Amino acid sequence: MTADRFLVGIDVGGTFTDVTAVDETTGRVLVTKVPSRPDDEASAVLAGLAALAIPGGDVRRLVHGTTVGTNAILERRGARVALITTAGFRDLLEIGRTKRNIPVLFVPRFVRPRPVVERALRFEVDERTGPDGRPLRALTPAAIAATLDAVAAAQPEAVAVCLLHAYASGAHEAQIAAQARLRWPATPISLSSEVVPEYREFERFSTTVLNAYLQPLMERYLTGLEKGLIDAGYRHGVLTVGSSGGMMTVDTARRLPIKTIFSGPAGGVSQACFTARLAGISAFISYDMGGTSTDVCLVQDGTPVTTTDNLVGAFPVKVPQIDIRTVGAGGGSVAWVDVDGSLQVGPRSAGARPGPAAYGLGGREPTVTDANVVLGRIAPGRSLGAAPGAAGPGAPGGALRIDAAAAAGALGSLAASFPGLTPHALAEGILRITAARMTSSIREISIQRGHDPRGFTLIAFGGAGPMHATAVAEELGIPRILVPRHPGNFSALGLLASDVKHDDVRTRLGPLAARTADLAAAFAEMETVAHRQLEADGFGATARRVERSLDLRYRGQAFEIGVPAPPGPLDPVALARDFHRRHLAAYGHADPAGEVEVVNARLAAYGLVTKPEPPRHASPTRRLGEALVETREVWFDGQPRRCPVYERERLPAAAELRGPVVVDEFGSTTVIAPGWRATVDGYGNLLMTRDPAAGDGRP
Amino acid sequence: VSAAAVDPITLEVVREGLSSIVREMRVTLTRTAYSSILYEGEDFSCVLMNRDAEIVAMSRGMDHPLHIVPIAWSVKAVRETFGDDIHPGDLFLHNDPYTGGTHLNDVAMIHPLFVDGRLFLFPVVRAHWGDVGGMSPGSLSGRVSEIYQEGVRIPPIRIHDRGQPNQAALDLLFANMRGPREREGDFRAMVGTCRKAAERVEALVARYGPATLAACIAELLDRAEQRMRDRIRTLRPGCYRYEAYLEGGRDRLEPLRVHAAVTVAGDTITVDLAGTSPQTPGPTNVGPAMAPTGAFTILKAFLDPGGEINSGAFRPLTVVTPEGTVVNARRPAPCGGMVEVKYCVESAVMGALSQAMDGKVTGDIKGGGNHCYIGGVLAPDAGARAPGNAGPGADFIFYEYPAAGTGAFDGGDGSNAVRAFTESDITTIQPVEAIEQAYPLRVERCALREGSGGDGQWRGGLGLVREVRVLAPAQLSVLAEKSLLRPYGVCGGFSGAPNRFHVVRGSADVEPSPLPGKVSGFPLVPGDVVVMATSGGGGYGDPLDRDSALVMADLAEGLITPATAQSVYGVVARDGRVDAAATAARRRERAGARRTVALVSAPDLDERDVRRIELSAETARRLGVGEGDVVELVNPRGAPLRLWAAVAPAPAGAARVSPLALAMFGGADGTVEIRRVHAAAPSVSEPGR
Repeated sequence: MTADRFLVGIDVGGTFTDVTAVDETTGRVLVTKVPSRPDDEASAVLAGLAALAIPGGDVRRLVHGTTVGTNAILERRGARVALITTAGFRDLLEIGRTKRNIPVLFVPRFVRPRPVVERALRFEVDERTGPDGRPLRALTPAAIAATLDAVAAAQPEAVAVCLLHAYASGAHEAQIAAQARLRWPATPISLSSEVVPEYREFERFSTTVLNAYLQPLMERYLTGLEKGLIDAGYRHGVLTVGSSGGMMTVDTARRLPIKTIFSGPAGGVSQACFTARLAGISAFISYDMGGTSTDVCLVQDGTPVTTTDNLVGAFPVKVPQIDIRTVGAGGGSVAWVDVDGSLQVGPRSAGARPGPAAYGLGGREPTVTDANVVLGRIAPGRSLGAAPGAAGPGAPGGALRIDAAAAAGALGSLAASFPGLTPHALAEGILRITAARMTSSIREISIQRGHDPRGFTLIAFGGAGPMHATAVAEELGIPRILVPRHPGNFSALGLLASDVKHDDVRTRLGPLAARTADLAAAFAEMETVAHRQLEADGFGATARRVERSLDLRYRGQAFEIGVPAPPGPLDPVALARDFHRRHLAAYGHADPAGEVEVVNARLAAYGLVTKPEPPRHASPTRRLGEALVETREVWFDGQPRRCPVYERERLPAAAELRGPVVVDEFGSTTVIAPGWRATVDGYGNLLMTRDPAAGDGRP
Repeated sequence: VSAAAVDPITLEVVREGLSSIVREMRVTLTRTAYSSILYEGEDFSCVLMNRDAEIVAMSRGMDHPLHIVPIAWSVKAVRETFGDDIHPGDLFLHNDPYTGGTHLNDVAMIHPLFVDGRLFLFPVVRAHWGDVGGMSPGSLSGRVSEIYQEGVRIPPIRIHDRGQPNQAALDLLFANMRGPREREGDFRAMVGTCRKAAERVEALVARYGPATLAACIAELLDRAEQRMRDRIRTLRPGCYRYEAYLEGGRDRLEPLRVHAAVTVAGDTITVDLAGTSPQTPGPTNVGPAMAPTGAFTILKAFLDPGGEINSGAFRPLTVVTPEGTVVNARRPAPCGGMVEVKYCVESAVMGALSQAMDGKVTGDIKGGGNHCYIGGVLAPDAGARAPGNAGPGADFIFYEYPAAGTGAFDGGDGSNAVRAFTESDITTIQPVEAIEQAYPLRVERCALREGSGGDGQWRGGLGLVREVRVLAPAQLSVLAEKSLLRPYGVCGGFSGAPNRFHVVRGSADVEPSPLPGKVSGFPLVPGDVVVMATSGGGGYGDPLDRDSALVMADLAEGLITPATAQSVYGVVARDGRVDAAATAARRRERAGARRTVALVSAPDLDERDVRRIELSAETARRLGVGEGDVVELVNPRGAPLRLWAAVAPAPAGAARVSPLALAMFGGADGTVEIRRVHAAAPSVSEPGR
């Protein structure tokens, strides 16, 4: 036994915490699930590690994805934050852009979500900076002192300093921070010029305030987690996955907790990129369907597109993040009858408790999972979350078994509202409606952005993704589906495929050609900071990579397109050419004679980590028959079909499967519908394609 | 195919498919539009219509009801104009308010789609064009007197004939608009959007067949209709009347009345607007489509907010709009103030409907768009990056339409400075940091307008205040309502503060027009500060019934003043805590000090212009009400009744009002609370609100 031989990824979800470990000496992958503990997330992470029965001392790297920040904002459990802002703008945080940001058109009794900093905790300071970064009104020590006196009386747990035009000059914010730190050395302080030094004040202020809101909580969480892991024998730094797919060190996560906010789905996309690269796929759509929601993301040339515009609850968060579309539909989505007699699926979910009726925890309403049980796609009596030998203490396996009678009962009561529909037809209908929802959202990220999905592979994962993939692919004309190994723990595995990443940005508004020198200086400044950070993170010069890009637009436009800036001196002509090309691709037109304006310079600095080489698939069997679990009745197109059910891990190499087939494994089930065939590739991926023998349609 | 033949699953999949087509139309337009008001401001809407000019599908929540509902009229106008002379490959254009447009800036493109040689569906886009010509940049302004000053009127015209563009007509249009290059780009984006929708509809037809698709559409419309009928049946049958006023006039307030008689009979509702003022040579007129849109918006919101938005839901509703009035104007009445008129119809319909719903209404809102333009010429050295600007030396137009406080309701306070429930969720103010990069302007303040929320058991939301200093010569135009006649409170709640747009020059307040809220090209000099202060939402319920802890919280947040806490809410605090005994006593005292009158029926009042109330000189003096003041009679179960005061012989303590006024007030004669909401003479001091 060598110490330091495991890489561990722990993905904390709303319902389950998925744990994945790779044994670097053997390439073996261990997976399990433990129930999440929204009230004490660190304990779920520690329980996850314990469930694998791996001593902490044997772990070389532990990466976790966390929902601590997201939940704290949604449940409003963050810190008591004091906001210091430019005189005259105390209420800007509340007024925002005057948008509701919640779906309440025609709802007279709507209540706009309150900002996380109430008015009494918002303080003004007498100062003003202009758009060129020069002070229009000086900031005096007396003004700082007066404001800090008022702040002190409010006894905040964290402070956010958000001044107008601080993206152009952070000097005033820095002066206030210096005085505040002298007074309150232990209080975390977030500056808008550090958290997100980009112009457009509301989005910058909102992001900065949310960062402050999370700082004390994240501090407590990370400290507790570190202590627990040290007690368990772990001797390395705790890594947190960030919204843009890269990992953050503990220091960064403490300073910029807002950058962990969209980390959940990012792991899955990172792993999909990794898997696709090995499988020789460069264009794919990732389809991650879980219990309550589904995340889809389009990847064109091996790299996911990032964006900086998103909301948490009703609040803008402007941090780099993978551009993922989330649909409020998953295995737990409830099917119900609207007042006009229409059959609806979701958006309400049965959640973890009571969960689908089939969980036998008292759920009475039929869900998508129950429909799958009624159709025989999920085995009756199957235990959930307990793979042979992997169930550790606290795992839900054993307690939770699929109760087919409960599922049938729930579907039966719903079917009573639809005379003429059998429970089986209703169940298939629920799946069709769900697939239609998925199809719409995939159209939005593909066809509506000029990509034809027929040229893409669907990479399906999450507990429910592989079960619905063929229906979704057929609707969109997607010819090929890849179901990776361990699809139920895929996102956690993805945590191990991420590099450490630092994102930085500087706003330098002006004509591109005229600002080349300023941009070069901004990049130089950001690179110095990034290298210092990576040095501190322990990455030598050869283990670093830096990517530069510019946000460009036509003069007069109000939004920008990201254009990569290759290494070396900036060539404004080449950059503009690239911008015209990208504008044409994205919007269908370009204006080569138009003046190109720069808004932001962006830097992504990576600390490169070694990634676990995925093991070649070594099946314990040679014949397909050895993987057969049973043959049971599964419904397709209104007919029960005798359908073989195989165990995923026992499928022989290069096995050829022809639908209808069900493939079961820990944490997920793959349904190969009639008209589809599948093979097992060298990495154990299931590759599904339309079966030419089956013709165009289903039998 | 009978509706029964549609299975519930196909129906849902088709519903999702139709709504997905509309969403795709939205994305296509955003991706291809040239002007920022479309791709960033999202001031456009997309919809699918059927051959009978019924709305089949819109996106849920992203499209603007004010754009969408009138499209039924636009499609009808096309069908009436062209009859059977409609062919595959045709495209029609329309913005004419008199035949169903909104205001001239909103241009609709209508694409007839044929299946098996028969008209099947119309994809339609209605988009706000930044300028359509007229007397002022941006085309909208406050002091117009004829529609010709507001831009180019486009009756239903064929702009593509079987795939061939009508270039002569296009050249003529673009030649009469500012920024022709942008206009043309936006036009092309609209064509592309219609084509994209056509492709998707054709794919849907290929998948399900025209008969099944038509049956699904019919079923979706029928279900929306049935939902609405079921909801209407829960209302108390009867005829309910209410009215609201627009701030007409040029140099002084000449109120324009929108009178609504809402008849609930079984599962139908009729809104008759007879009794509404004749059209006016000012901006606040609309064509025939806007009043029904307003009435529908209120019904939908108060009866069935969650249901599908299609024309089925509209079927149980009949709206009567007498021709030649502000709600159905004829040439040459300007129609730029269509948002304003629509909101006034909404205020009137909501006030009437409240009588059928036991006061389950919300306080009133801002009364319109609050359009505010600051325009001028950029200095040669300006770092001009204004959207749509050609560069230094060119015109610049700064345009905001700031949101206001929303109305309180039973169980909740209104929200502060945010889009209301009747409006799509788009941004109404620009980032300060973008403004100061682009224009010779400096924003000096963006704050909640303290004390602006209508007081009540539940308080109306606060408006906002924005102070914008101009650094170069410029001109100010404003089009706003409820600048004098505040958004009403309901069930005893107080009015919100009115909108106020004015200029501070040095240390003096300068009024940019004789009639507040209606400004055209007021000259600004460098150093002037334009103050945009938006209205507060109306309150709900008696402020003396507000939880004193909530009053203390409002006080701590600075949302109300200590004086208001004491005099309006009757809350007495000692050392920051409520003194319960003193508060109870103060509340009794305040309740006792309310001004009341005994209503007496008077059939002889001349109410051609406005509703009247006659008080004796002695009563008027005691109430602090002067001749010509606007007062309201408090309705504990709905919206208050607004009346113009006159001093005339009347019994002491009594007020003479018409039988119609009494009917609008629920028929109750007896003693009622009276409040002044607008003083005709500014010298009269405001009584405590």
